[in-house]
Amino acid sequence: MTAFLHSIAYGSWILHALVLLPLIGVVPVLLGPEATAKRTALVITTLEFLLSVGLWWALDPGFGTLQLISDSPWIPAWGISYRVGLDGISLVMVLLTTALMPLSVLASWRYITQRERGFYALMLTLLTGMVGVFIALDLFVFYIFFEVMLIPMYFIIGIWGGANRLYAAIKFFIYTMAGSLLMLVAIIVLVWKVSAVTGTISFAYEHLLRNAAGVGSVAPWLFAAFAIAFAIKVPIFPFHTWLPDAHVEAPTAGSVLLASVMLKIGTYGFLRFAVPFFPHVALSPAVSTLMVTLAVVGIVYGALVAMVQPDVKKLVAYSSVSHLGFVMLGIWAGTLQSVQGALMIMISHGFSTGALFLLIGMLYERRHTRLIADYGGIARVVPVFSLILTVVSLSSIGLPGLNGFVGEFLVLLGSFGAYPWATGIATTGVIFAAAYLLWALQRIIFNPLDHAENKSLTDLTPRELAVMAPLLVGILWLGLYPGPVLRRMEPASQRYLQLVGSPATRTTEAARPVAEARP
Amino acid sequence: MIQLDLGTPGGITFALIPELLLTGWCLLVLLVVSWRHETAEDSRLAGWLSFAGVVVSLAGMLALWFNHTSAEGLAQMIALDGYRYAASTIALLSAAGTILLSLGYLERERLLAPEYYPLVLLATIGMMFLAGAEDLIVLFLGLEVMSVAVYVLAGYNRVNPFSSEAALKYFLIGAFASGFLLYGIALVYGATGTTSLSLAGAQLAGKPLALMPALGLGLLLIGLGFKISAVPFHMWAPDVYDGSPTPVSGFMATGVKVAAFAALTRVLMETFPTATNIWQPIVAGLAIASMLVGNLVALAQRSLKRMLAYSSIAHAGYLLVAVWAGTPTGAGAVLLYLLAYGLTTLASFGFLAVLGRGGERDVTYDDIAGLAASRPGVALGLSICMLSLLGFPGTVGFIGKWYILNAVIAQNQAFLAVILVLTSVVSAGYYLPVIMAMYMKPAPARALQPGTRLWPAAAGVVAVAVVAVIVLGFWPQPVLDLAGETGRTLTQTAMPLAGQ
Repeated sequence: MTAFLHSIAYGSWILHALVLLPLIGVVPVLLGPEATAKRTALVITTLEFLLSVGLWWALDPGFGTLQLISDSPWIPAWGISYRVGLDGISLVMVLLTTALMPLSVLASWRYITQRERGFYALMLTLLTGMVGVFIALDLFVFYIFFEVMLIPMYFIIGIWGGANRLYAAIKFFIYTMAGSLLMLVAIIVLVWKVSAVTGTISFAYEHLLRNAAGVGSVAPWLFAAFAIAFAIKVPIFPFHTWLPDAHVEAPTAGSVLLASVMLKIGTYGFLRFAVPFFPHVALSPAVSTLMVTLAVVGIVYGALVAMVQPDVKKLVAYSSVSHLGFVMLGIWAGTLQSVQGALMIMISHGFSTGALFLLIGMLYERRHTRLIADYGGIARVVPVFSLILTVVSLSSIGLPGLNGFVGEFLVLLGSFGAYPWATGIATTGVIFAAAYLLWALQRIIFNPLDHAENKSLTDLTPRELAVMAPLLVGILWLGLYPGPVLRRMEPASQRYLQLVGSPATRTTEAARPVAEARP
Repeated sequence: MIQLDLGTPGGITFALIPELLLTGWCLLVLLVVSWRHETAEDSRLAGWLSFAGVVVSLAGMLALWFNHTSAEGLAQMIALDGYRYAASTIALLSAAGTILLSLGYLERERLLAPEYYPLVLLATIGMMFLAGAEDLIVLFLGLEVMSVAVYVLAGYNRVNPFSSEAALKYFLIGAFASGFLLYGIALVYGATGTTSLSLAGAQLAGKPLALMPALGLGLLLIGLGFKISAVPFHMWAPDVYDGSPTPVSGFMATGVKVAAFAALTRVLMETFPTATNIWQPIVAGLAIASMLVGNLVALAQRSLKRMLAYSSIAHAGYLLVAVWAGTPTGAGAVLLYLLAYGLTTLASFGFLAVLGRGGERDVTYDDIAGLAASRPGVALGLSICMLSLLGFPGTVGFIGKWYILNAVIAQNQAFLAVILVLTSVVSAGYYLPVIMAMYMKPAPARALQPGTRLWPAAAGVVAVAVVAVIVLGFWPQPVLDLAGETGRTLTQTAMPLAGQ
């Protein structure tokens, strides 16, 4: 496989292709007839996924450095270039994005009935933005992708969303924009401060990373700006209030992409930018305590609030707050297990929560209600649906053998040494997760079948099975045999720990300016 | 590289080629319309003639610019630097756009008095002198020529009481502003014995500013503050923008602002480069007040024209942040932002002119509900304009804001930058509802007048502007280079004497 990829010079064009293909795809979607828009979108997203699979082999697993770097000048006078590349962490995030995209398109097949061309064009634009964010290695480019993602999602929520969609859309937009504009100021300050030390103005990631220590006393402010931008995106308690609104109002595909990919951009931002740029601030005792506390509060608060939601979509939305709390805990614990675990949760949350939103969407298409109280006993009517819902719920809870377990176990294991108390409290989050999901499961698919409307529900169609099957395979595969994925990420995680000089590797402080990435 | 001796008649004529061409042309058009001023055809003829005049003048301006025309020794009376050329070019572009937008608008509103177009030309001549003034008297004359023409334009819709109100308000406030400006000029002259910007700068350099020139500086700031509608000198702006014919509102928001900001920057950087300790706090205060008041009050508007009026106050605040920097980068940022804001605002007012129903004053958020279904092109264009005004990446508005942020952060002033971005977030609260209304709300039962359509000239203007907004958003290199270069020429003009 590697030889084949090498023979077609895969590494030299793939990253550009992944960004450009969806944008080019927008043209036939918009120009073609309304009826074929979804088919065109499905073809393009599937092609995108197939193209991206080769990245798994194109990346040299032996190195944690950034690879496949491509750099073309954009605004040379300001040190801005279109610089992209990826390491093991970006790799899995890109693959997660491209894998979920065709499924989201397929899940919208019947759900989106109005202005289909516009919808699929926006989905493709969103795909470009999401892939771009994960591979951008120039802070200007990163910022642009980070912001540009907002517009399609804003329209997707605002046009095809639920009853309260306008409120949800503008709240989502303004929250994210507030954070990202502060980050923009921080980026410019960082670049000017670094240029004062090095004499070159450059927005290139590695250049800033190497010299970020030179910013001096403003480092806490810069970290705060980055951290707020990403904290809103994650979202960390107390910046989470946009999330339930946006998730609930968005159409199924929007909720899936929001939960599975866009939230991860926040945690990815911490791993890629906020912490490595300012490790002395980020991992200082005060900030660590604050972040770990917020993470744990998020875990418990998200779980408790999820438990009392009458709306099953809102329940899943709050469960995301809880799961992402584990990721933040893992990042701040700063051990190899905890960081690997955090990354693993980012992936498996993408699968499980994405699958949950898809299943809720399928149910909603049949009954047009998301209230748990409107269901009950439907296992007898729709056995296949119920089986899948059970498996996915168990994976979200973290049952050993399914994907959710691996990440949470690693995070708890890796964090216990550094933060025993916090980890102890976080563990209750796992128990609460079991409580809210199993309780919801019981009320939806078990209990007596006491609503007449539910008796005529139809089971999953082949199209819907085709949507769920890859997710189920992923859930089982990641649960039973996570080794390959973990191994792929491990060098990058190790390099991250080296960069931030975490307790485990603080002795290697002298080696902080890690060698420039290989071309 | 042409060097002109401004002391000789030939030199000064050559230096004023664009202005002279436009003045001559304007008189010609006046002659034509005194003969033919009855029908819609006459009005159109005057419009196209005036447009041609602007193009000719623009050609002259670009010829000066591309030959890097400069003065032998010290430029007196009129500047010969990239800053003048760039600012005048933006003003001329704004005039050209306004004329084309007015063609169909005047016919629809039955404002068939073709003197409208010579007035636009006169105002443009004033703007060019204002942008290039190297002497306080020239500055004042340019300001007055521009203002008097614009007062008349504001009241051009005679039968509409709101238009008359706008003209009267603008005139009274403008007269006050001129008074302040004249007092300021008198005090600066009294303190330095000269009205030349750079000679006065040389007199004032090297020592702390005495009371008299400091008062002069303050009065100049007030006078120009009215013209750029910075808070607290902004009260006139919403009513005047609202009452004036829509293309004139667009002209005021772009052309007048370009000229006044160019003059303000030039005065501060050439005459008071060493008095930053006095004017920087004032400019910062004006900027913060404008950003806060403009953005917060815009949130409460229902009429799109009033919203754009308050947003123009907010944008004046952003521009003042760039002025604050007082560096070549800051001066370049002012120009670049003026270009970005000018393009976007001209297109926005163009769309509003199209959407307004004949005889009715306001287009509200509710009026444009569901526009995406009936007029997808207009909805898309207006959405792009709103995103550009918001400063969203991928549009020229973002490049402009980004340049301003660079200029202030390079001066170690992150506070202004943070205020700028936070108030920009507030502005999402009134720009986004425009997009929301068009795309996410159902069309109202009382639909827009069925006859609303883009007349071809206006369609051309808004199409060019919207495309430019996007293209420059993704490929800003040429304008960034130009902005940097022209910003530097301003200090080079000031330098020879300021250093003594």
